[in-house]
Amino acid sequence: MSPRLFGQLAHIPFRSIRSPRSAVHGHVPVRTFGIRSLNPPKTSRFDIGPGLPVLKSTPTAALERKANTLPLRTGAIAIKKGMTGLYDATSGKRIACTVLQLDRVEVVSHKTLEKHGYFAVQMGAGWRRPANLTKSLLGHFSANGISPKRHIYEFRVKDERGLLPVGKLVNADWFKVGQYVDARSNSKGKGFAGVMKRHGFGGQDRSHGVSLTHRSLGSAGPSQGGGSRVYPGKKMAGNMGNEQNTVQNLKILQVDQKNGIVVVNGSISGPKGCVVRIQDALKKPWPKVKLVSKSS
Amino acid sequence: MIQLKTMLNCIDNSGAAVVECVQVLKKKRPATVGDRIVVVVQKQRNFGSDSTGNSGIANKVRRGDIRHAVVVRARKEMQRPDGSIVRFDDNACVLINKAGEPIGTRMNGVVATELRGRQWSKILSLAPMHV
Amino acid sequence: MANSSSILQQLGCFRSLLTKPRVTPVNTTGRRMLTTAWSAKPAPIPFPKELPEQFHDQIPKRFRPDLAPKKIKIYPPPAQPKCKDPIDFIAQTQLQKLDPSGKRRELFDYRRHARSVKPGDIIRVTFKNGDPFAGVVLSIKLRGADTSVLMRNQLTRVGVEMSVKVFSPNVESVEIVQRTQKRKRRARLYYLRQPRHDMGSVENLVANYLRQKRALTGAKMGGNRKR
Repeated sequence: MSPRLFGQLAHIPFRSIRSPRSAVHGHVPVRTFGIRSLNPPKTSRFDIGPGLPVLKSTPTAALERKANTLPLRTGAIAIKKGMTGLYDATSGKRIACTVLQLDRVEVVSHKTLEKHGYFAVQMGAGWRRPANLTKSLLGHFSANGISPKRHIYEFRVKDERGLLPVGKLVNADWFKVGQYVDARSNSKGKGFAGVMKRHGFGGQDRSHGVSLTHRSLGSAGPSQGGGSRVYPGKKMAGNMGNEQNTVQNLKILQVDQKNGIVVVNGSISGPKGCVVRIQDALKKPWPKVKLVSKSS
Repeated sequence: MIQLKTMLNCIDNSGAAVVECVQVLKKKRPATVGDRIVVVVQKQRNFGSDSTGNSGIANKVRRGDIRHAVVVRARKEMQRPDGSIVRFDDNACVLINKAGEPIGTRMNGVVATELRGRQWSKILSLAPMHV
Repeated sequence: MANSSSILQQLGCFRSLLTKPRVTPVNTTGRRMLTTAWSAKPAPIPFPKELPEQFHDQIPKRFRPDLAPKKIKIYPPPAQPKCKDPIDFIAQTQLQKLDPSGKRRELFDYRRHARSVKPGDIIRVTFKNGDPFAGVVLSIKLRGADTSVLMRNQLTRVGVEMSVKVFSPNVESVEIVQRTQKRKRRARLYYLRQPRHDMGSVENLVANYLRQKRALTGAKMGGNRKR
């Protein structure tokens, strides 16, 4: 006699007289004769109950992790206008500096924790002919009461105190002389570059039997012992430049609110006319300015 | 831009005339004014050995000696804090001992003022001129 | 026989040409071209007037009566910053600070001012900190606030070149020791570095000039004529 038959036989009367208590549990303990462990009572496969660690993959947890590395206030979109030198009044030192210009930088919209999972201020700069914009973007600008913008970027902020009201014009005096900023922009594109230029490889010999491969890389990886494959991340020829680069801790030397000019110490990646995003430096104390709370 | 194999003029009275750089110290880049280098004496001045009879002063070093030296002039232009640029027509150095004191007692020739900031004030004061 | 028929067969393609004028009036129905016959676009069925709102969904969107493109309000941009050339603006403000009288600018703008320093002149520059430097002007780089002058001299028989930013606050004064006899036909006199063109030391000329100046101004040492 098979135990299965027993089970079937056992099921019939139990189903008919199922108690309400077992229905709540969702599992019917089946009494089997013969083998006892055939249908053992199940525990839930989910780990539930008190004392479990808080999950780290939630937006709230992410915000908490980044609490010390997110600026308190938004940055601004600027255009790199070129470089020049300024003389230090006391020491007579010449300081190389980059001239940036802010062109009608306005707050376009906000990103909030409730809706988007993080806090950010979307800024727009410049002006673009409405005919050259997509309808969706036009609608976005129109809904927020902003003129069509050429450049739009987000600046993450720590909390809602950093959310400037929508439509607020950010001028050059947003930055204080002497404070430090981080400037991020795209570097100059170099096109498809070989390994010598792109990664500083040594190249190969001019002679000694080398033919046609004087500037190429040698081996792309080990042979059978190393897996006979090219490892991920192998440095090879490819497009060089035109990638985002952040220059940290640039001192603000001059600010001209009327003309929207910000002069920062040192150099910034990218050609003249490129878009530069400047925000309070992460690795310096935050500038002492009053935060504007959201009141739009 | 003084590196391995660079020939420099020696402008002190240690007895060396032309020296060759064999090592740049404390630096991974070519040496410039104020940097310490290791040199080999390639040519020595042959005055004084018989005429003055004071051969000890005239030739403190001989050809083939390995000595330390400080670069005092460089062909490669150097920029000063106020943006001005100075360059010389030759590379020149002054021999020093391990302690950093000059071997010669006199120097003939102009040197760069950059020596002052690099603890080579003694060499600067020995020089007849500095730019 | 066979030959003639084959020729006729080949010529048969021209028969339609011959027969066409005769056939066209006959073939008015265009029965052969039924598939390509042009037919007028059917007139749009007028939208039923008293159609209840609930049935509007069933009609294609483009036929609905209330369909009109959504108006997007375009807001005017705020005022543009007036400064079109910030680099020039910064340079001009720098110049006004460093050279308020504009005399230093005149002294080196050799393309506009006849009395200015020119390549080939011997000039003497005195600094606020450091010794004066004199030499032949090899080149003048006119770059606004970053204008610089390259001088060459021989000190202790070693050629020395110095490029000085003329608007640097470190530069106290610039004086012309000797003007070039003949106008140089080049703007950059780099050939003066070659041994056969080298002018040698100008220290004697400068010493002479200083002696004369001292005699004129009245035995005052170290007084520099400001230009």
